[in-house]
Amino acid sequence: MKHWLQHQRYALQVTMRRLVGAPFSFLTNVTVISLALILPLLGASVLVSVQPVAQHVSADPSVTIFMTAEASLDSTQALADRIVSAQDPMILAVDVVAKDQAMSELQTNDAWRQALEALDSNPLPHAITVTLAADDAVARTAELFAKQWRTIDDVQFVQLDSLWVQRLEALLKLARIGLTLVTLIIALVVLAAVFNTVRMQALSQRDEIAVARLVGATEAFVRRPFLYQGGLTCGIAAAIAIGLTQLTLSPLNEAIGGLSKTYGTLFTLHLPTTPMLVLYLLAVVLLGSFSARWSVTRHTRF
Amino acid sequence: MIEFQHVFKSYASGTPILEDVSFQVSAGEFLFVAGPSGAGKSTLLKLIAGLEPASRGVIQVNGQRLDRLTSRARPYLRRAVGVILQDTHLLDDRNAIQNVMLPLSVTGQPNEIARSRARAALQKVGLSGKETALPVTLSGGEQQRLAIARAIVNRPALLIADEPTANLDKDTAKRVMDVFKDFNHVGVTTLVATHDEDLMAQYADRVFVIEPGRFRDFPVAQSS
Repeated sequence: MKHWLQHQRYALQVTMRRLVGAPFSFLTNVTVISLALILPLLGASVLVSVQPVAQHVSADPSVTIFMTAEASLDSTQALADRIVSAQDPMILAVDVVAKDQAMSELQTNDAWRQALEALDSNPLPHAITVTLAADDAVARTAELFAKQWRTIDDVQFVQLDSLWVQRLEALLKLARIGLTLVTLIIALVVLAAVFNTVRMQALSQRDEIAVARLVGATEAFVRRPFLYQGGLTCGIAAAIAIGLTQLTLSPLNEAIGGLSKTYGTLFTLHLPTTPMLVLYLLAVVLLGSFSARWSVTRHTRF
Repeated sequence: MIEFQHVFKSYASGTPILEDVSFQVSAGEFLFVAGPSGAGKSTLLKLIAGLEPASRGVIQVNGQRLDRLTSRARPYLRRAVGVILQDTHLLDDRNAIQNVMLPLSVTGQPNEIARSRARAALQKVGLSGKETALPVTLSGGEQQRLAIARAIVNRPALLIADEPTANLDKDTAKRVMDVFKDFNHVGVTTLVATHDEDLMAQYADRVFVIEPGRFRDFPVAQSS
């Protein structure tokens, strides 16, 4: 254990000496990698900020059941009670809209009032509005309910009010796929940057590696400083990227805040949660170390 | 300590360097490897140090067959063999004591112990006071002694030196040889490649003479 710790300490010292020995190269790498890492972070920030808002809005996806013209208010209420008694966790609320109530609501709309005055009687049917719980599968759930309710005798028509939910879901799904692709591309950029840097370092440290092997260094001993170099470069770059993303979000939030106020709400973009950021940092460090190991293994075969 | 059984070595071009070489070296012996340039002295030493593989035959060093040694085990053998190559291979960006500490860092020795042992090794080769000097600021003889200090700091059982006195004046060469002899006196098996006949006459117990296509093993009385 003591020897292991000593080896880590030595590798860290060698890493620091190499980084300090070539500060321009180190800073350039950190800058390039951190700028590349901002992109997926910004994307993730947008997603984690928009997702709850989308979920909140889609908390009211609903299905409207229109009864036949002959169906009475009592039979409508009975159907509503049946839906409630099923105690499906996906159903949040069931409201009966009597045809008189629906007519009164329509009459409050100036555009409809004149047209409705021309009618002798109320042509509207009684209706039931079923509010569903918002989750990723809400559109599919609504379809299933609609299919089931259409078979009931007094039901004339079932209208899914979830088309927009499907669209939002599709958009979010697209955004998630896009972010995954961007993240993969950035990971490749980081991989290539570290790989090339370590390759250059390994070639410039040829003599040192040869001497270390001559005096009995294991391959792990030879590789360790390069692994630290890759991990440290990427870790610092990731930390800078998080800071820069936070800085970038500030002016964006000022603009978005102004816009969202006009809609009577307050919406801001924010970074993913701290555990997510720690995970992100660790993943980048691992990526850097992996790339460094790959490179040093390939370029120290002499 | 060292055993060669019908060892052949040729390079990729097919040129044979060593042909059917067999010998045994016991622990604590002091040997010279002599012969003209290009005859294969350095190759023989590199084979012993495990720096190059034999084309054919069996080499055993410190009780281990080199051809059966795994790549994981090879570094541990090298720790038991102190090697001083013709080119000293000192690290120019590290000072004298840091160069000597390298083999100890490789074995995971704590810094304080490594520093103290490196200082003792530098003292043994007459480089006390040069701890902080960079290799480029040292003379050829000092660089050679620094390489020796690095080779002996791990207390190897076997010391191999390839032309360690090639670029040194007579006095410095003698001092370097005295250092080797001191280590030999405490039981370190020592092999030195040289073509300096005066040194051989003065220090050798046994001499291997390598000539193109020929290997001869002389006790010192015959060689001198």
